[in-house]
Amino acid sequence: MVSILVPALIAGLMVTAVLVPFGFEVLKRGIVFIDLAVAQIAGVGVIFADFLGWEPQGAAVQVAALVAALVTALLLTWTEKRWPEVQEAIIGVVFVLGASGAILLLASNPHGGEHLKDLLVGQILWVSPGRLPRDAFIYAVILAAWFGLGARLGRVGFYALFACAVTFSVQLVGLYLVFASLVLPALATYYASRRRHLKAYAVGLLGYVLGLLASLWLDLPSGAMIVWAMVLVALLVARFERRPAAPG
Amino acid sequence: MIKLNRFIVTAALSLLALMAHPAFAQIKVFACEPEWGALVQELAGDKASVFSATTALQDAHHLEARPSLIARARNADLVICTGSELEAGWLPLLLRQSGNARIQPGSQGYLEASQFVPRLEIPRVLDRSLGDIHSAGNPHIQLDPHNIAKVAQVLADRLAQLDPGNAGAYRARTAAFLARWRDATRRWEAEAAPLKGLTMVVYHRNMTYLSAWLGLREVGSLEPKPGLPPTTAHLADLVARMQADPGKVIVYAAYNNPQAAQFLSERSKIPAVMLPFTVGGSDRAKDLFGLFDDTLARLLAVIK
Repeated sequence: MVSILVPALIAGLMVTAVLVPFGFEVLKRGIVFIDLAVAQIAGVGVIFADFLGWEPQGAAVQVAALVAALVTALLLTWTEKRWPEVQEAIIGVVFVLGASGAILLLASNPHGGEHLKDLLVGQILWVSPGRLPRDAFIYAVILAAWFGLGARLGRVGFYALFACAVTFSVQLVGLYLVFASLVLPALATYYASRRRHLKAYAVGLLGYVLGLLASLWLDLPSGAMIVWAMVLVALLVARFERRPAAPG
Repeated sequence: MIKLNRFIVTAALSLLALMAHPAFAQIKVFACEPEWGALVQELAGDKASVFSATTALQDAHHLEARPSLIARARNADLVICTGSELEAGWLPLLLRQSGNARIQPGSQGYLEASQFVPRLEIPRVLDRSLGDIHSAGNPHIQLDPHNIAKVAQVLADRLAQLDPGNAGAYRARTAAFLARWRDATRRWEAEAAPLKGLTMVVYHRNMTYLSAWLGLREVGSLEPKPGLPPTTAHLADLVARMQADPGKVIVYAAYNNPQAAQFLSERSKIPAVMLPFTVGGSDRAKDLFGLFDDTLARLLAVIK
């Protein structure tokens, strides 16, 4: 019975592996909602491709999603440089524009709605084992670029790489899990003085394992269950980290 | 290495087949919609254990993935679904994820009910701009009892093929069911005679077979196009059109959102009626007989 969960677990762990380091950065910069904005615009790219009558599962749609995400990322790089104080508000506006833009584009296209829902909510249980090697390769390239280039990535490099990671992850597990995998491990270990990567990865791993098992026992949708399990794990882990005393 | 793997797989599969066959205590049926689950129950009784993937309060077009769905599909001997692309959004994924060769399309354990009835509204041109329409025709076939009888016959044959040991029991139960069903259908048709020509506004084009069976007339639908939620302009247009061609009743299924129907009902001063649509959609619709009893009772209450 547990074997049902294996492809979903592998997908979840790959997403965690990639998103945890990005989560540290996103939390540090105070732009946690950026993934919602980027994913939402990637979704608009998919709907737009559908609007043009492109093949739903084709590579062209992937390209459309990725281009939309990259353009958003570059736009947000520019706004961060230009108006750093209000970056988070701008991210929020981009998100809401994307969400409502999708509805406007969908006004005459019921099939687009299904694509959008797949993209945002995701159905982690439906992950096909056949696609996992390809995704593993993409994630390996993203991780290699992240750890290999490090600070040399620069601001533009960070946003571009982040856009790639979010676009692929959202299609694999859906937006709620992307947000949870990005923010929760980083948040739970925010005050960790040592071995932060290890602890953060443990939060992600335990969240997925417990969430999937809980969804099996309770027979509830897996994605939402994993979010709740990961929050619980994050709370437990955060209890062990002491907040440094405020100076003065 | 490959040869060895293949040997192991073959050995394992034959072992599984051996284990599965004599212990065929109950045939395991996975029904996509409750009406087919109910039909299996009628024809197989305690010879089958039935699982319904959706309830009457869910739109069978969409489904959230839960582990139990895959688990049930993995063990199923028979999958019975409406077909005609109704479940296109989730059934292919579920069947693939189940890894169960017995229930894949084309095999004996896969039954698409709509394949065996004359379908209505097969589109002449397929254009996305027309909304969520199905190239194989309107899939909501269950509200015509003649369709249920046709599917029952196919289903009985399939159950007998899959579980030959109980073939006699399936045939006997099916004959008894069909006799009762014929009588009930005759009764329903007599009761529903005053409904002929009743004009109605539907929510989604999901009452088409009911209308065709009873001679009802659909004068409009709340959805501007199938699958798209009602818009303000469309509702305003509908209110205007209904002054010229007034409907007697607004009809929506238990799983449809009642808000738009109630909005239109208040504006146009004609009653909105919820129909169970499938087994489980109302308290009285406990089985297939109850489904039709309740549907007719609710419609007849309007014209009294």
